[in-house]
Amino acid sequence: MVQEEGSSSVTSSPLQFFPWMPVSPGVGGSPYPWLRELKSEERGLYLIHLLIACANQVALGSIENANIGLEHISHLASPDGDTMQRIAAYFTEALADRMLKGWPGLHKALNSTKISSVSEEILVKRLFFELCPFLKLSYLITNQAIIEAMEGEKMVHIIDLNSSEPAQWINLLQTLSARPEGPPHLRITGIHEQKEVLEQMALRLTEEAEKLDIPFQFNPVVSKLENLDIESLRVKTGEALAVSSVLQLHCLLATDEENQRSPPSTSKNLQKVFHLNQRTLGEWLEKDSSYACNLSPDSALSPLSVSASPRMGSFLTGIWGLSPKLMVVTEQESNHNGLTLMERVLEALNFYAALFDCLESTVSRASMERLKLEKMLFGEEIKNIIACEGTERKERHEKLEKWILRLELAGFGRVPLSYHGRLQATRLLHSYAYDGYKIKDENGCLVICWQDRPLFSISAWRFRRYE
Amino acid sequence: MMSEEAVSVPSTNRLYVQEPNSNPNPNTTSNPVKKKRNLPGTPDPDAEVIALSPKSLMATNRFICEICNKGFQRDQNLQLHRRGHNLPWKLRQRTNKEVKKKVYVCPEKSCVHHDPSRALGDLTGIKKHYSRKHGEKKWKCEKCSKKYAVQSDWKAHSKICGTREYKCDCGTLFSRKDSFITHRAFCDALAEENARFGTVSATNPNFMNGNLNNPQTASRIPQISQIFQPEFAGSEPVGNLSADGQRPRLPLWLDPANSQLNSNALMGANSTGSLPAELLQTSPMNMFGSSSHSQQWLNKFPDSSFTGGNLSMSSLPRGLKEEEESKRNLSETITFLYPNSQNPQQNPAHMSATALLQKAAQMGSTRSNPAFNSSSAFGLMSLSSSNVSNFNSYNHHIKNDSQKFIRQPNQTENFSELANTLSSSTPATKVDDGSSSLFSNSFLGTSKNLESLMMPSNSKQGHASVGGLKLLAGTSNESEHSLTRDFLGVGGDASGSFFQQELAKFASMGSAMDLSQYTRHH
Repeated sequence: MVQEEGSSSVTSSPLQFFPWMPVSPGVGGSPYPWLRELKSEERGLYLIHLLIACANQVALGSIENANIGLEHISHLASPDGDTMQRIAAYFTEALADRMLKGWPGLHKALNSTKISSVSEEILVKRLFFELCPFLKLSYLITNQAIIEAMEGEKMVHIIDLNSSEPAQWINLLQTLSARPEGPPHLRITGIHEQKEVLEQMALRLTEEAEKLDIPFQFNPVVSKLENLDIESLRVKTGEALAVSSVLQLHCLLATDEENQRSPPSTSKNLQKVFHLNQRTLGEWLEKDSSYACNLSPDSALSPLSVSASPRMGSFLTGIWGLSPKLMVVTEQESNHNGLTLMERVLEALNFYAALFDCLESTVSRASMERLKLEKMLFGEEIKNIIACEGTERKERHEKLEKWILRLELAGFGRVPLSYHGRLQATRLLHSYAYDGYKIKDENGCLVICWQDRPLFSISAWRFRRYE
Repeated sequence: MMSEEAVSVPSTNRLYVQEPNSNPNPNTTSNPVKKKRNLPGTPDPDAEVIALSPKSLMATNRFICEICNKGFQRDQNLQLHRRGHNLPWKLRQRTNKEVKKKVYVCPEKSCVHHDPSRALGDLTGIKKHYSRKHGEKKWKCEKCSKKYAVQSDWKAHSKICGTREYKCDCGTLFSRKDSFITHRAFCDALAEENARFGTVSATNPNFMNGNLNNPQTASRIPQISQIFQPEFAGSEPVGNLSADGQRPRLPLWLDPANSQLNSNALMGANSTGSLPAELLQTSPMNMFGSSSHSQQWLNKFPDSSFTGGNLSMSSLPRGLKEEEESKRNLSETITFLYPNSQNPQQNPAHMSATALLQKAAQMGSTRSNPAFNSSSAFGLMSLSSSNVSNFNSYNHHIKNDSQKFIRQPNQTENFSELANTLSSSTPATKVDDGSSSLFSNSFLGTSKNLESLMMPSNSKQGHASVGGLKLLAGTSNESEHSLTRDFLGVGGDASGSFFQQELAKFASMGSAMDLSQYTRHH
């Protein structure tokens, strides 16, 4: 504490407070030179507050305010800065996208010329597999559960709900070939939207199986998960069925019914803004108080919400009808399916902060791959969570407790994941020198955490006859 | 009689049978050629598979003497017994030719070992297996009531039970060293993590204790309100406000101090979904509903703030005693969320995003006090260290004059409404037409209009509103000009000007009138 005679300094010219500030702020480019002086921690905190405030404005539909907020954030956020800056960049992009959806014409015009490249998407998935341990762990644990469940089985049929990464099944093939009773006859049915991806998978896997001399068959099914025809899976009687779902189930929660509830739709709010002078502000706020920041009344565990998703229900019933011996579900451990925007923003902030931290701890800031992963995978997920509603919003992550409820309702019984699998997973973490990750056991389900923040949950299920 | 052949036996048959290794040369006990053991459950492919019925498997004393009906477990024993009856006895010698290996399958159909490919190689083994898996557990350990079907298992356990030697940090006990080591290597509750946890949670009491220190008495308050009211009555020109040389403040809605929304929501989002709802809805009421609460934070305000340091924000005290629950929740969330010090968080330059979020949550929870808004806004804006000293001195000054600006509970409600509008958890009261028109202008006006950022105040209570409206009226013109600048006011003007604009903007907000009163007095 330097100046104790506060009064004099207070009444004197403000310049005294910021002697370092240039008189003509135009010099130096950024109109906020003092911002550069911020240390990264301060800047990070500032960004957090700005983000939340801005999200709140978006939720309320105050476009003007939100715009100002975004403007401020834009001076601090950057996709190649530190973690908080990156997160802010993607969140603001998502918020802006959401705001823009209020002008559908504009939004479509801006997005119409986007080139979506299959190879880029595949690359991004691969980057996620390589740069982060989550997929590796999930595959490992899934495979271990499969092997344990299929002990003694001669005919094994595996359904892969999103077949894009051959590494998972190559690992399984190798482990199966070392089985003491010999490998079973293995059939893998891979589901994916793009034919090319499945063709790639087929090639790699059959090649590997031949090397290991395992009787193997790969059946591609080109389909979206929500339109999946159970018949196309061609499950035969007498074969032991296992289903592997890695980060796939949540998109089935996308439903239309939210339109029947009262969602914050930006276009409605826009009109309100324009008609502002016809009402007093207070009235306006009163009416809109339902929009922003109303946290849904414990939507998490109400049975209504769990059973409310028809697509999920019919999908799970279909799978249940196949009487699978095992189904391993890996999902993001975070509630990004809240009814209100603010709920989702806050949860997503915490979740993706942890994810971005993971990357920060293992990959350098200059890495192009990291940038691509952040932008094309995480950024797109964030955009989907924040900007999309209804059937468009696919990234409806939910916490493990909800998945447990859902799956139990659908007729599945829990299969505890073995200690052996967990051991292997922990060994993998050690071998890759991934520091800071942890694997926790929660009643037989495994949760992969980063610094105590749970990120992904893995649980195993089996067909259960109703007693 | 059993269908199996009895193994030829020397006089030392008991010993022999006990040995796990079947010795092809029965008479030698030293230097035995150890028979190769297959992996358990992987029998020799050309062994003879023998399937015994459960009854025969479980039977003891299968060999009965025909004279006295005494039962024996082994044929050899029966033969020796028959000698006593002067009956012809025959002890068969072990055949010298290669004995065909026998393997046994479990009679239980659902068992894995029912399959010949998973047969077990030893009769005793299959008997024990059958008992263990499919039999009744008749033997019970006295100490721990664990039950066993096979007597030898029970005996082995009883020797070990209670003699546990190894205990992992997670609380699991082990009697064997190898299992203990394996477990410990992969156990979650490793000592180092606990240590980290321990150091972290030690910091929490600082936050918690800060809340509890309310040394000030309530006697101050009456003074404050008296001083406050008269000063409040007059309308102040904007110039006055600007002269105070405030730090650039964020518009109230951007102001992190302003929204317990931020902090509570952050905390809530981290913990349970229901929590933020609670905090948002209840905390404004708690903060401002009771005058005792406001007194507490009023008392808190002068003293503990502005103690300098890198982040003036972090030094802001917990103004309010929030309800116990939120406190507890806060501490829970802090402990839960505080990251491991694996990340070099001691060094703020490398603070991870998760750590920042938690910090923001912690800070936000301390800022339930609206009077803090300005100070923390200052804190936020003047984050660079070069500012801190100025800021601190300024705040020091504030502290001295704070009495003037501490509002009555009456006015606290205005802030509560402001806060409420931000959190939208309670309906906002109506705004006077004067202010609303101003706002509507702002909304439709220039883009960089900070006024529009500020949530409209709902101050209609008492003197506050009067002053506020006058301010509104008084400053509307001025604010129009300043409106075109962004709040940092760096457009063209000297840096000092943005303070003025800031103040102007704050002044024009009804709810901010209190702040402007606050600033005005400098």
